[in-house]
Amino acid sequence: MEAHTEEYNKYFKVLELSPKAAISEIRSSYQRLKTLYSGDSIAITAVSDDFSEEQRQNILSQIEEAYTKLSDLFKNSERIVDGKPKNYKSVILDDSLRKYVADIASFTGSELRKIREKLGIELHDIAGFTRIRRQYFEDIELERFSGFSSEVYLKGYILAYAHYLSLDPAKVANDYIARYKAWKDSDNGSNNGKLQSAFRNQEDNNR
Amino acid sequence: MKDNVTHKNKKCEVWAVGSGKGGTGKSFITSSIGIHLASKGKKIVLVDADFGAANLHTFVGVGKPQNSLTDFFEKKTPLKDLVVNCGVSDLGLVAGSMRSFEAENIKSQQKVKFFKHINQIETDIILIDLGAGSHFNTMDTFLLADKMIVVVAPELTAIENLYQFIKSAFFRKLRLVLDAHGLKTTFQETWKDREARGIKSLKDLIEYLICVSPQVRDIISREMSDFNLHIVVNQMRNGQDVFIGSSVKSICMKFLGFNARYSGSVEYDESVTRCINRKQPFMVTYPSSPVARAIGKLSENLLEGKEIIIGKNGSAY
Repeated sequence: MEAHTEEYNKYFKVLELSPKAAISEIRSSYQRLKTLYSGDSIAITAVSDDFSEEQRQNILSQIEEAYTKLSDLFKNSERIVDGKPKNYKSVILDDSLRKYVADIASFTGSELRKIREKLGIELHDIAGFTRIRRQYFEDIELERFSGFSSEVYLKGYILAYAHYLSLDPAKVANDYIARYKAWKDSDNGSNNGKLQSAFRNQEDNNR
Repeated sequence: MKDNVTHKNKKCEVWAVGSGKGGTGKSFITSSIGIHLASKGKKIVLVDADFGAANLHTFVGVGKPQNSLTDFFEKKTPLKDLVVNCGVSDLGLVAGSMRSFEAENIKSQQKVKFFKHINQIETDIILIDLGAGSHFNTMDTFLLADKMIVVVAPELTAIENLYQFIKSAFFRKLRLVLDAHGLKTTFQETWKDREARGIKSLKDLIEYLICVSPQVRDIISREMSDFNLHIVVNQMRNGQDVFIGSSVKSICMKFLGFNARYSGSVEYDESVTRCINRKQPFMVTYPSSPVARAIGKLSENLLEGKEIIIGKNGSAY
């Protein structure tokens, strides 16, 4: 994230995070602190003698404010994925990156990876936020199509990925699925890949 | 402040380990960090400064050494001559003084000398095992350290006493620092009339003093930002206990206003007690147990100033 003012650093500090923290970390830290200061953990009870209700409320409102401001820093928008509305918080592309993205004729795995790296986002950030296994996003970037059992699943993953990076999900999915189809129609999409994906699905079921 | 004087030209780092309450496993943690770092090529000297109940030697598997801190305080034996070898290479020990029950009344001159001598020991890291509780001798030794480490167990009373310990330490520091700046009377008078001034807690005291003058405000804000705590949770019994450390850290920062790091968490394992009873150093007997691995991680976090990160499922890494 670019252009962090003192103010934003303060909000990161309230959430006990480094200013480089990803949206997924912001979210989980917020939830943890909110639970702590509104609950009755022994860590709170132990200090309750000199901890007035007013101070507790004060801390809670600081946490709330920090989360709101930091969420605003990341764009907040309602999207439809697989017919279900999901509240996606995505990142903001600065002007140079927006221009870079606009110049891309067709989104490939390696282009997606380049954009993600320019944004300083780690795969586990996306995985943590979307609750989709990190491996799938890695497979998307490396175009290891054999990792996907069907087009429907792949489409779900690629849409989630594009949302997270604030890209145009429909355009990204169209370009990418076309590459997947081309691979499937060629010799590569034969038995070997299907076995791998069947194996992975089995793993998923066991989790 | 005396810290600055004694720390001049020093070669080694001093880590002090304290806890508000006895039985949190402070001596076990101290000795195990020492054994781990010694095995990684650091030269370590353990100092048993638990003047009331000194038995750090048992944790490293040696009998009670002939000489102890008593010889330093009573016979003026140089501290470096009191270092005995433990069974582990690169690990030395200055034993505590069980006999000297008056040790809690060590004069302040002797303490200053003790601090000077500590820095003369030639080693990489000196690990001081402090007595539990908030006696001012303990506080002074704790404040002397380059790294202030606190051990807490996931129980209400241990956490209560930990906050008390931290507050006492900072109270003591505030007093010493203001003394050193010739502001002794400011502090004393404020504290004497605390009721009339509506001061009920350390936080109230700090808020009051900050308004006394810009000089006092600057001193306090500098001391608060220099006050770094390293939190260790020991004897975790379930997956949720790992969160105690982050909660305590959060409260230290948000409520008390200090810097704090969550350096490590160690689970409960009854073979620790078994080892102590047999006078076997746990780290040597069970080097690949989960507890030993957690101690290893903790030691490296302390060395590098890192802290543990807790995953969504509560796993610490």
